[in-house]
Amino acid sequence: MSFGFEQIAFLLTAVLTVAAALAMVFSRQVFHAILLMIAVFAGVATLYVLLGVSFMAGMQLFIYVGGVSVLAVIAIMVTRGFMGSDRPRPARTTYGAAIVAGSVFLGLAWLILRVPWPTAPLVAASENDLALLGQVLVSRSGFVVPFELSSLLLFVVLLGALYIARER
Amino acid sequence: MVPLAWYLLVAAALFAIGLYGILARRNLVMILMSLELLLNAVNINLIAFSRYLEEGQTIGRIFALFVYVIAAAETALGLAIMIAVWRTHQTVAVDEIDALKD
Repeated sequence: MSFGFEQIAFLLTAVLTVAAALAMVFSRQVFHAILLMIAVFAGVATLYVLLGVSFMAGMQLFIYVGGVSVLAVIAIMVTRGFMGSDRPRPARTTYGAAIVAGSVFLGLAWLILRVPWPTAPLVAASENDLALLGQVLVSRSGFVVPFELSSLLLFVVLLGALYIARER
Repeated sequence: MVPLAWYLLVAAALFAIGLYGILARRNLVMILMSLELLLNAVNINLIAFSRYLEEGQTIGRIFALFVYVIAAAETALGLAIMIAVWRTHQTVAVDEIDALKD
């Protein structure tokens, strides 16, 4: 396998993303963890760009970096005390979690490496197929019912969140 | 292009890291953020499969969009529950929220 620009860019992005994720779960300060989480989301968006699906990269930036992160930062800043350092769990729990996570990763990696996956995409990335995506999303033979249900879900969830978090 | 297995391995690593975060951290904020990591790992898988194995290149992306909707809903509800728990218990450490035990 030759190491061209794409391979090097992928490896760099993957290493940075995984490193940011590791730093996130190990960081003592919750606020540092939030900043690192934003770095992980940006790294995943870069992976989408490398995959050739820039629309999903844009959605990733809009929804996660722009939405979820801001929501988290605001919710944490309006309530004092979430931000403090997180007292670690007993070592037994931490080791157990590390063993579980490590064995899940090793098991998945073993499974992934056993399968002869394709090394190149089936078809070339189309420049602009947003229209097709939108048609599948709202066509009756496509996903119109889950699409509408998801809007209903968001509405109900936001109402419920307001109700749960209101001042009593 | 990069082989598909590389993307799957990155996603597996992110999934395992998120799992560690859920199991090992006490703060509810950290657990919610680790959950987002899990959903992101799943999304990488969905989009990579759609890009490499699917002729129409749409279904995987649409699944990923639905995962976004669920993730946003989960974050909003999780943060609301967190604020409510903070009001009543003055803590967001999951091992100190044990009112049902008493």
